[in-house]
This record gives sequence, C-alpha cells and structure tokens, in this order.
Amino acid sequence: MRKQVGLLYTLPQILWLVVFFAAPLCIIVMYSFLKKGLYGGVELQFSLEAYTAMANPNIVLVTWRTLKISIIATVLTLLIALPCGYSIARSKNQAIRLFLVIVPFWTNFLVRIYAWIAIMGNEGFLNDILRALRLTTESVQFLYNQAAVILVLVYMYLPYAILPLFSTIDKFDFTLLDAARDLGATRFQSYVRVLLPNIKGGLVTAGLFTFVPIFGAYAVPLLIGGKDSYMLGNIIADQLTKTRNWPLASSISMTVTVLTTGLVFLIAMRKPREQKQVFDADPAFLQVAPDGKR
Amino acid sequence: MVTLRKMVLNLFGLALICTLLVLSGCKGGGQSKTLYIFNWTYYTPDSVIQKFEQEYGVKVVYDTFASNEEMFAKLKAGGANYDITFPSGDYVSIMIKEGMLEKIDKSKLKNFANIDPAVLAQCDFDPGNQYSVPYYLGAAGVAVDKTKVQSYDRSWSIFARKELANRMIMLDDMREVMGDALKYLGYSVNTTDQRQIDAARDLINNAWKPNLLKFDAEAFAKSFAAGEVWVAQGYAESIFAEVDKSKWNTVDFFIPKEGGPSYLDSMVILKGSKNKELALKFIDFIHRPEIYAEFCDYFGFPSTANIPARALKKGESWYRPEDLLNCELKKDVGADLEKYNAAWQAIRVGK
Repeated sequence: MRKQVGLLYTLPQILWLVVFFAAPLCIIVMYSFLKKGLYGGVELQFSLEAYTAMANPNIVLVTWRTLKISIIATVLTLLIALPCGYSIARSKNQAIRLFLVIVPFWTNFLVRIYAWIAIMGNEGFLNDILRALRLTTESVQFLYNQAAVILVLVYMYLPYAILPLFSTIDKFDFTLLDAARDLGATRFQSYVRVLLPNIKGGLVTAGLFTFVPIFGAYAVPLLIGGKDSYMLGNIIADQLTKTRNWPLASSISMTVTVLTTGLVFLIAMRKPREQKQVFDADPAFLQVAPDGKR
Repeated sequence: MVTLRKMVLNLFGLALICTLLVLSGCKGGGQSKTLYIFNWTYYTPDSVIQKFEQEYGVKVVYDTFASNEEMFAKLKAGGANYDITFPSGDYVSIMIKEGMLEKIDKSKLKNFANIDPAVLAQCDFDPGNQYSVPYYLGAAGVAVDKTKVQSYDRSWSIFARKELANRMIMLDDMREVMGDALKYLGYSVNTTDQRQIDAARDLINNAWKPNLLKFDAEAFAKSFAAGEVWVAQGYAESIFAEVDKSKWNTVDFFIPKEGGPSYLDSMVILKGSKNKELALKFIDFIHRPEIYAEFCDYFGFPSTANIPARALKKGESWYRPEDLLNCELKKDVGADLEKYNAAWQAIRVGK
C-alpha cells in the first residue's frame, strides 16, 4: 500500500524527466548515429560519420579551447566565491547578503550581457571615463576576446558557486578554527588545513555548477567573444542551423554530455568517503601540532 | 502533516502540468481567423500588418528568424504551424524539393501583374512561380560611418585596410561573406570549383579577417549604431533601423562595385497551412502598389519587385535598383555546400 503511494508521489517528477530529459536525449543519441540529410534533418541509415567527423582538427581545436576557457573560468569563479560564501556565512545579516547575490537573477541573462557591452564596449562607459581622465585618447578594446568571455562567464555563474559554498560553510563549526589557532596554527593554516577539507563537498558542487554550464556556453562567446572565442556551444548551434549537419551537432552534444556526466559520476563516486571524514581535518597536521597532547 | 504538505505540493505540480497541457491544446485548434507569419527580423512594417488585419478582420501572428538556415531548421523540426514564410531563392528550391510548400493559385492574385518581369525572370529556383511569389530583391552591402572614415573606395577591398583594424565587422553568414570574396576575385557566388572556394577562403583569412572585430549576424547593426565599429557589412534595413534618424546623413551605405551575392526573398505558403485562402489574400495585399510602396519607404528600399509602386514611393532609398547589376543571386549548391562548410569552418574556428 505504502509503496504505491510513493510511486504516485514521484510520478509527476518521473513524467517530467522522461518527457523533457530522457526522450530528447534519446533523440539526440539516435540522430548522432544517422546519416545527415542533404538539407538538414537525418536519413534513416546507420552511420558513424558524425563521430569520425569530430576528429577534424578544427573541432579538436575548439574542444581544447572550450576546455581551457571552462577550467580558467571555473577556477576564477571558485576563488571569488569562496571568500564571498565565507563572509556571508559569518555575517550577522545573512539574509540581506544572500538577497544581494540573488538579485541579478531577476534581470534577463541577455540583458545582462548587453549591459557588459554598454559598460566595456569601445564606446562604453569605461572608455568614456578613461578618456575623461585623459588616460587614453583612443578607445581601449576590452571586449571581443577570450579574456572578456572568461570575465563575463565568471560574472554569470558566480551566484551558482556562492550559494552551495555558503550553505556548506554555514554548517561548518567555526569553533574548529579557534581550536586550530589554539593549537598553534596561523590564521592562513587554519583556513587551508581545517576549513577547506571540511567544505570539500561544497567546493565540488560549486565547481560542477559552474563548469558544466560554462562548458556548453553559447550566448556569451557569441556576443562578448571575437574571432578567437568560437566555443563548442557555437559549433553545435552552427551545425544545426547553418551548415545543416544535424548528426554532427548531435554527436558533439553527446560528447559534451558524456564528458560532463562522466565528471559528475567520478566525483559522486568519491563523495561517500569524504562525507565520513567530516571531522578529521588533516592527520599530518594534527601530528605536527605542537601541543604534545596528541 | 508532512504527508499533507507533500500532497499539496504534488497536487500543485499536477495542476501545473494540466495547465500546460490545456494551454498547448488551445494553440492548435479553434480560431481559423489567425494568420501565422514566419518572417525575417525587420521585414514587414507593423503598419502594413495592421492594415491587413483591419481590412480582413483577422489577427496576424508575426514571428521572426535571422537566417534562412534558422527558418528552415525550425520548420524542418516540425511543430510550428505557420502559414506563410519568406525564404530566399536557394531555400525556395530546397523547400520545393523537400515537399514543404503548397502550390500557389496565381489566378487569385490580381496584383501578380505588378511584379517586374525582370525579377520574375530571375526566379529559376521556381520556374513559372508555381510555389513562390517574389517579395523583395536586394543585397547586403557595406555601411560606413563617414565621421570616422573619410576616404574609401566603394569596394570589398575596404576590409583589407589595416588602419581600420578591429573597427570593422562582417556577417556571421557563410554564403554572404564567401560570396563577397568570390565576387571580389571575379568568380561566381555559386561556384563549386574547389580552387576558387579555397582562394576566397584564403583572401578572407589572410586579408580581411585580421582587420575584423568579429563575425556577427545578430548584433552587427547595434554595434555599428553604438559606434563600436565604423564599417559594417550587412543589410541596410537593419543598419538604419538601429542608427538614430538624426545621424542618418553620417552613414554611407553602398553595394560594392564588384557586386556580391543578391537575394530574392519570396512569399511561400507552407504545406499544412490551415489558412490557405487568407495567406493568398496576404500575398496579394503585399503587391498592391500603395502597400508595396509603404513597405519600401519604411525600410528605405528601392521598389525592386513591384513596378507601379516605384511611382508611389515617397521616401529615399538606401541604394538604387541598378546598384544590384553586378550582383548575382545565391543558388542552392546542393551537396557542394560541404566545400563551403569546410572553408567557413576554417575561417570561423582559427585564431
């Protein structure tokens, strides 16, 4: 009896996942193994062409570039999100600070991209200020390169990193930091060797929440990027809408999906072990602790 | 209590799904007095749509696309119930081959006679106009901000000028940009000769691309209007829609003397249209001389397709019909498109 009720409860969720996730994914898998139609679409004929076509040096280059941009952007995001999450967790007015992190979500994604163009463009506010200060006469070109793409990606996905980091740090027992200090650790040591190992789970979640969407970024490289910023997301869109090669678009999408889910699985497999060691900060550190009691 | 809350939440979820299902159901059936148009961004003035709605007492739903490829991909994917769309010539022939179009009963189009026979003669993508009625013949050109660039040749060679580096932009459109380079080199925009395609690729990669800020088909007009770039290859109507009217006299728009790929967009009725009669009425309405003139005036177009409208036009045009003389209509190159794809990918991907 109970079992049936449980199934009934999860039914909407299952239905949702099947219709909007599993079914489209199956279609993509199927398309990636079919022959491309001359004018788009697919022909019902098995073919591995879409996968062999990925060996094309151009696509390899773009994959490498996408990986590079994603890693740099994720690392930068984490470096900024960590102190943010920490300060929110320790703050007395958490609610207000969290609210401030969430506020940008109320503005449309594209509008925020165009706002960056208005600020950093060749004729943007920043250049106006530089010219007014007579630091430059010509416009400085901030946008339309990889660095600008990384900057805007970091900005876009920062909240996705701050929120999980905050919720993990919030659960952290801060007296442990005091204990570490009492045992002779410097402030920096107490963060690196006590705080960080204890919030590993949050760091991993934050990293995934930023890396995965950035790896599939499309609009930011399209609008903020220049000639050197063509990423995998753009190739997929172009194969689908411009060069009419749906199987190739599908096979690249599949590769991206397999790579990212593979990453998630790898990390998820390791997780149970980490959760058990919530308390043992760093055995080596405890051994060198100069208190003699250990 | 917890289970009660869960139940309420689940009921809420179910209600949401039901609402979605009901809403999506509404769209399909019922009202036959709505004409669904799938058109290019900036292509039919609102005033023309409104006049049509008033005269026939119908509602028009106007959705837009940015490229033939996008339009084709969306229609091909199915699910969209549009009545009329506006493909360029190469896509008219593709859509005929793919069986996506309804035949058009020209006897019901009394304004078909207004269309320039010279334009009809170019419709070899649909001989005898069985499936398509010309909408507009035009070409992309080059817009120059005269306050920033004083002396220049009205040629594609402007993109090779190093002193304008990073202040120029070209469309993220394979056939357009490749076509410009092919024309500049004296070849056909529809060539399938690998050596000619390679030569065009090398010209773009070595001479033009180093000076370009980027390839952009979405925001090129915005970038030009904002002063981000001084030279933009693109469509006049997009450019002038973004540039403030007070600055129109500082913009020079020209079709380069070598010519380029021209386009002939046609109105077609899609297979499965539920409003074929109304769609025919819309097509006929567009070619009424006063309506066609209103359309051209709104965008600063020359009246390329409709002869009587030329006399009724009140405004200036950004270019003249004779500027298109050296241009060549883009045609479907079939499987040889792969050669263009490879060349374009090399251009877009490389640093």
